[in-house]
Amino acid sequence: MLSYFSNPQRFDGLARRAIPVLGVVTVLLLGVGVWLSFLASPPDYQQGDTVRIMYVHVPAAYMAMALYAAMAGASFVFFVWRHALADAAAEVIAPIGAVFTALALLTGSLWGKPMWGTWWEWDARMTSVLVLFLVYLGYMALRAALEDAQQAARAGAVLAMAGVVNLVIVKFSVEWWSSLHQPASVIRLGGPTIHSSQLWPLAIMALAYTTLAAWLVFYRLRSRAILQRARQLERRKLQAARRPAATGEDGA
Amino acid sequence: MSALGAVFWREARLAWSGGGGAAGPAAFYLAAITLAPLAIGPAPELLAAAGPGLMGFAALLSVLQSAERLYGDDFSDGTLDLYALMPMGLPLLALAKTLGQGVATLWPLPMIALVGGLMYGVPLMSSLMLAAGLLAAVPALVLLSGFAGALAAGVKRSGLLIALIATPMMVPVLIFAAGAGRAGFEGDERAVANLLLTVAVSLGTVALAPFGIAAAVRSRLG
Repeated sequence: MLSYFSNPQRFDGLARRAIPVLGVVTVLLLGVGVWLSFLASPPDYQQGDTVRIMYVHVPAAYMAMALYAAMAGASFVFFVWRHALADAAAEVIAPIGAVFTALALLTGSLWGKPMWGTWWEWDARMTSVLVLFLVYLGYMALRAALEDAQQAARAGAVLAMAGVVNLVIVKFSVEWWSSLHQPASVIRLGGPTIHSSQLWPLAIMALAYTTLAAWLVFYRLRSRAILQRARQLERRKLQAARRPAATGEDGA
Repeated sequence: MSALGAVFWREARLAWSGGGGAAGPAAFYLAAITLAPLAIGPAPELLAAAGPGLMGFAALLSVLQSAERLYGDDFSDGTLDLYALMPMGLPLLALAKTLGQGVATLWPLPMIALVGGLMYGVPLMSSLMLAAGLLAAVPALVLLSGFAGALAAGVKRSGLLIALIATPMMVPVLIFAAGAGRAGFEGDERAVANLLLTVAVSLGTVALAPFGIAAAVRSRLG
């Protein structure tokens, strides 16, 4: 399966068919999810209408982590089997993951203000998501700084895999830190376990976010391949144009 | 084994003769902890509470400040290409090299932290714990900045890149090393727990980071 789609032409065929399908599914799911979570679901007995922030916040946080896992997995595949497509996937996933992480932080902050009366709390979970955001930024900065594509790919893979070990340790250490620091914090879906009238919109939104991310990944992978192909053609054209010109100068 | 020793001492001597040895990081550290009270105000309770954290934080910054030199020069002059060919394996060499420079340049940091802690009004026991925590943290800090330095070796203005890559990795060490000296934990078993956790994270880094550095160096040598 892996090596089957590592053929660029076959992958292009798959992507060409997957992109419109994923696009339609995403739009439908997002439409239903937004309608359910903002209009059709009841306000929370405790949080009122602010609970609706949950439907955009929780899926974003989930995507932030899922996309890092996908990026690290792709990096591992590239590091071991040297599939160029896996590296392209890791490169393409990073900015998408960073945006979802930023979205999770932002919506979390907006939710925190009415709920706990503060935009930001140095709580274990928020701090580790912030660190995750920094890790995404570091990965993108490293890839952007290395000019040689092969070096960028391999160094990026090493960093993404090291990030997995790091993020796990950060998660535990930050939890110990904040529990040592102060009593357990406010971030918790307090009160009753989540009711089905809230679970449905949440599940559909999570699914919509997932297909949205998949859509974006396929879309960016395909446009990246097209861009590379265009650059290649341009280079070939330049070389072809330069050759007769060079001999002409020699003649003169 | 003797080759590893040679690499260790080469790095230490290079750091002493060429780079000013421990003077750079030590001066940076002193400047940072001198400026901090001017920024946050002279109130003794405030300084005593913030002291251990500031000491740990400033130590982290001064390690980062010298991280660029760690792999950048040896990358551009070809030394790393030779290391990659040596028979004992790149991870061991990376460990000897990084620790060699770390020991040579960072040894004053725990002592400065002890004095600085006392100057901030942190109790003696807590200051001692803080210095011990930093002593335990130095191998982890220098190896992590070595990992980032190897990834970013030879890049223009790699200092910024190294800081961005290394800081998320230094979060656990910073938490535990500064926690060991936290004034509120004086004589508390939580201070000892934090110190032990610092040692644990540091040992784990010594075990894992050399492989990461070796992979990073190889990825950059292409």
